[in-house]
Amino acid sequence: MTPAQEVDYVLNDCFFAVGQAVGTHKSLDFDAIQWWRARYRAFFLHAMTVTGNSWLRDRHRVTAVGRFLGQRALHYAADRPSIDLRCAALASDDVETGCRMNAEREGVAPERLSAE
Amino acid sequence: MHTHEPHHAIHSPLTDPPQAVSVGAPRNTPHADDVRELERQVEYIVDDCFFTVGQVVGMRTTVDYDAVIWWRDHYRAKFLAAMQAFGNRWTQDRSNVTSVAIMLAERAVRYSDGKPSIDCEAARKAAADVERYCELHARRAARAMGLSAPDDAPARIAGYWCNYEYPDTQGGG
Repeated sequence: MTPAQEVDYVLNDCFFAVGQAVGTHKSLDFDAIQWWRARYRAFFLHAMTVTGNSWLRDRHRVTAVGRFLGQRALHYAADRPSIDLRCAALASDDVETGCRMNAEREGVAPERLSAE
Repeated sequence: MHTHEPHHAIHSPLTDPPQAVSVGAPRNTPHADDVRELERQVEYIVDDCFFTVGQVVGMRTTVDYDAVIWWRDHYRAKFLAAMQAFGNRWTQDRSNVTSVAIMLAERAVRYSDGKPSIDCEAARKAAADVERYCELHARRAARAMGLSAPDDAPARIAGYWCNYEYPDTQGGG
């Protein structure tokens, strides 16, 4: 399977993980699904094609991050009945900040300038 | 934009006659541009269903990647066939179809009892149960509405997303 083919399976796997953390008390707006897909398809495809990441090797770690994404989205949705696009974007920001810090600590990503 | 009822409202019937009646007959063969657009849209729909299955499975267990692959291949083909025949009715049908996804998740959890995760076998068995249920339900609903013509049947079931086979792929899904 090429990365372009595999990335869709990977995204399905991640949506499952996000759903696990969200649970049945809230729904997810359809535009949030579209936004998450567009965003992470690009990121994952880059990781798989440029950096040569392997899903089978990284799956455990990435789906754990997916569950964290679900938890953050749930947090931002507070008492709303569903997770909207704003909550999804805020959750992504939290998760990606955490991932960047992790990558910098592990030395797999260059440290960013403080002005960034 | 809140497009549907919350997922926890899982007791809705799988068949919704007013929506189902409006589906109409299958359309003619779609244009290549339409197919490309439907192929783009079906990805969001499959994501939506995986999210729902994950919601219901929760932290009780997890899913094997093989099972993810099998479910995706299976339902993407079926959803795309239904969309090519009837157009993209996701906005109208989302609540009904995700209710079916809830059942799929519960069956998969049951079939994975005693195993560390939902494997491909559990995923297949759960899908078979759900599709049998949808088919029976659709037949019953069609009978209740006095609609028994085989050509009209697929158009009259809310569960047509997982039962419709494009004529040239009969038996392949």
